[in-house]
Amino acid sequence: MTASGDGPDPFTVIRSQSGPDRDQVNPPGTGTLGFAVLLASLSVLFVASVAGYLYVRINASQWPPAGMPGLPMSLWLSTAVLLGCSVFIHRALKAIQKDDQKGLRRNLQWTLVLGSLFLVLQTLNYVGLAQSNLTAKTNLYGFTFYLLTGLHAAHVIGGLIPLIIVTHRARRGRYSSFFHPGVTYSAMYWHFLDGAWVVLFAVLLIGS
Amino acid sequence: MSSATDHAEESNYLNAKPGLMSWLTTLDHKRIGVMYLISILTAFFIAGMLAMLVRTELLTPGRTIVDPDTYNQFFTLHGAIMVFMFIIPGIPAALGNFVLPLMLGAKDVAFPRLNLMSWYLWVFGGVFAVVSMVTGAVDTGWTFYTPYSTDTSTSVINMTLGVFILGFASIFTGINFVVTIHKLRPAGMTWWRMPLMLWGLYATAIIQVLATPVIGITMLLLIAERTLGVGIFDPALGGDPLLYQHFFWFYSHPAVYIMILPAMGVISELISVHSRKTIFGYQAIALSSVAIAAFSFIVWGHHMFTAMSPMANMVFSALTFSVSIPSAVKTFNWLATLYRGHIRLNTPMLYALSFLFLFGIGGLTGLFLGTLAVDVHLHDTYFVVAHFHYVMFGGTVIAFLGGLHHWWPKMFGRMYNEGLAKLACFLIFIGFNITFMSQFIMGSLGMPRRYYDYIDAYGSYHVWSSIGAYIMAVGFFLTAGYLIHSLIAGKKAVENPWGAATLEWRTASPPIEHNFHETPDANYPYDYSVNRFNPDTGNYDHIGAPAQEDDDRAVGFHGHGLESTT
Repeated sequence: MTASGDGPDPFTVIRSQSGPDRDQVNPPGTGTLGFAVLLASLSVLFVASVAGYLYVRINASQWPPAGMPGLPMSLWLSTAVLLGCSVFIHRALKAIQKDDQKGLRRNLQWTLVLGSLFLVLQTLNYVGLAQSNLTAKTNLYGFTFYLLTGLHAAHVIGGLIPLIIVTHRARRGRYSSFFHPGVTYSAMYWHFLDGAWVVLFAVLLIGS
Repeated sequence: MSSATDHAEESNYLNAKPGLMSWLTTLDHKRIGVMYLISILTAFFIAGMLAMLVRTELLTPGRTIVDPDTYNQFFTLHGAIMVFMFIIPGIPAALGNFVLPLMLGAKDVAFPRLNLMSWYLWVFGGVFAVVSMVTGAVDTGWTFYTPYSTDTSTSVINMTLGVFILGFASIFTGINFVVTIHKLRPAGMTWWRMPLMLWGLYATAIIQVLATPVIGITMLLLIAERTLGVGIFDPALGGDPLLYQHFFWFYSHPAVYIMILPAMGVISELISVHSRKTIFGYQAIALSSVAIAAFSFIVWGHHMFTAMSPMANMVFSALTFSVSIPSAVKTFNWLATLYRGHIRLNTPMLYALSFLFLFGIGGLTGLFLGTLAVDVHLHDTYFVVAHFHYVMFGGTVIAFLGGLHHWWPKMFGRMYNEGLAKLACFLIFIGFNITFMSQFIMGSLGMPRRYYDYIDAYGSYHVWSSIGAYIMAVGFFLTAGYLIHSLIAGKKAVENPWGAATLEWRTASPPIEHNFHETPDANYPYDYSVNRFNPDTGNYDHIGAPAQEDDDRAVGFHGHGLESTT
């Protein structure tokens, strides 16, 4: 067993033993390292976007520009919901490490619910701002807001799809304390999304 | 002990599975490497032909063959296709994919599916970029500088979308290489016993992973600016065109090291193997790759000396000079490796020596440009164009050609015609110097880059430059000819024709489908006493490490076919 639970898939190992010795069997931790490198790459994307925002913000004389709405207060609610995702995915990981299948399923489902709720809240934020005549085309204030939050929302969508698959596999009892890479990667990814959001939100708050 | 003849009738990765579909769905790093090789050479051909058109147009002042708008499109497409589709993926994705797992004694990279996906993304992005040629082309220069790139009516969106997608291909290759090198090194191969090619690829992969997302967001912003017109690069609306330049160069300067670091890795292998001498200063070469990778992130401002504050300029100038230190460390170590080596002047070695000469000029002229007072004069002249080509062509492309000739017998199991290969190398070397030495001169005399027309005073330099380009083209067509010929009628290659000590030479040429019958144990990669020349087969048979294990780094191997040191 590996700490990260991403050792060789027992199914793959059985296959490769019967077939030609073509399949590469990676040592434990390979997938986790690969995923960590991917997240490092993604974090550069967010850092660059924040840098672009700050560049524009520092050049601006007035922010938000006159007549423009401030940041929606409901962003605080979005933040709380996203933090909830982190909590539940963490509990899901802890559950499967103890072979608690029921706990795994329950916590994954809660992560899914909260992740979807986050997207709904962000959409409501966008609708509200659009009603106050602030869209991505209005000015740089609007553009940078939609860019940063939109980039993040796109990555939330990109996290929900694999999470649905992982939840489905969990229902079929595919994971065990020995083998649960999908859960490990999901946990890493949602913690990353959470961290990225906290930084983005803090920057937006300070910028305003 | 195995020799090539043992494997002569055995199936290899090329013929193990027949049919086009078996290639398009392959997870084999060697096949993906070959597919990348074919793809990038296609891009190289297209972009090379565009360069010929550019040089032909500039043969005479005023109109020679096309109008100014078409000329702008020629040099833009030449630059963009060369940089994003050939030089950046060239060595890592084609040669690197092929040799990296072999050098590790592994069966494949850590994530073979991701590897195949990277190739498909390259093709997808490449199609976008090349299709822009027929949908109105691009005329912004390969840097897509704003504000022109947000105003021009040419198909900038197509091209930038292509670059955006190509970036993912690059990131995925990077992730694969980082993880493979971390996790799949064989027993006995510590970090300090890893071939320097792998150090080069490792440092490159780090930059690919950490810099490429920035070009992604830059291209997205440019596309958003063109579609929404919100003014992020427009001062009138609160934006700033300099922001584009900062973003662009924050990626594109490290990208220069994505291009050159693997080339340096190739050269480290070629020089040691073909001078039959253990590499000098192994750790210094390895660490200087990492140092270059680190420095690469903090020097982007030197592309913008004419646009920033004096204070920022001084900082970036000083940082830029510091990059030359690790580069010089490498160069001196290569020279020291050559010193008293048993140099074989075969094609790979000729390319390696060309690299030292041309990269030396490219690197040293970089110091001129890093010097603020001089740069103000040389900025946007042909001097910059020449400097860039000495590094990118004289460095990367020459190293790519050297590596291609070095690993060609391993990749395809055939030897090429050595005489023609030397002739082609000579033509390319001479042609290149004629082309770009004259550009150094006319640049220092003030000929601006990108111009369609010029005064008569620059006429003879332009003529020489174009003649040099044609000589290079002859060299390349010759290379294509004898390489293709070797596939059909070349002499069968033995397992280890050069007497190299890295692991890829311990399997058949071409390798079997899963690389090795049993995982080879790693020796120090530059200990040539592990091989013994067999005059009957022409192969360097592996005879294993000498008895005095502790001393294996110091062992040099002088001459062909000497007895082992035991």
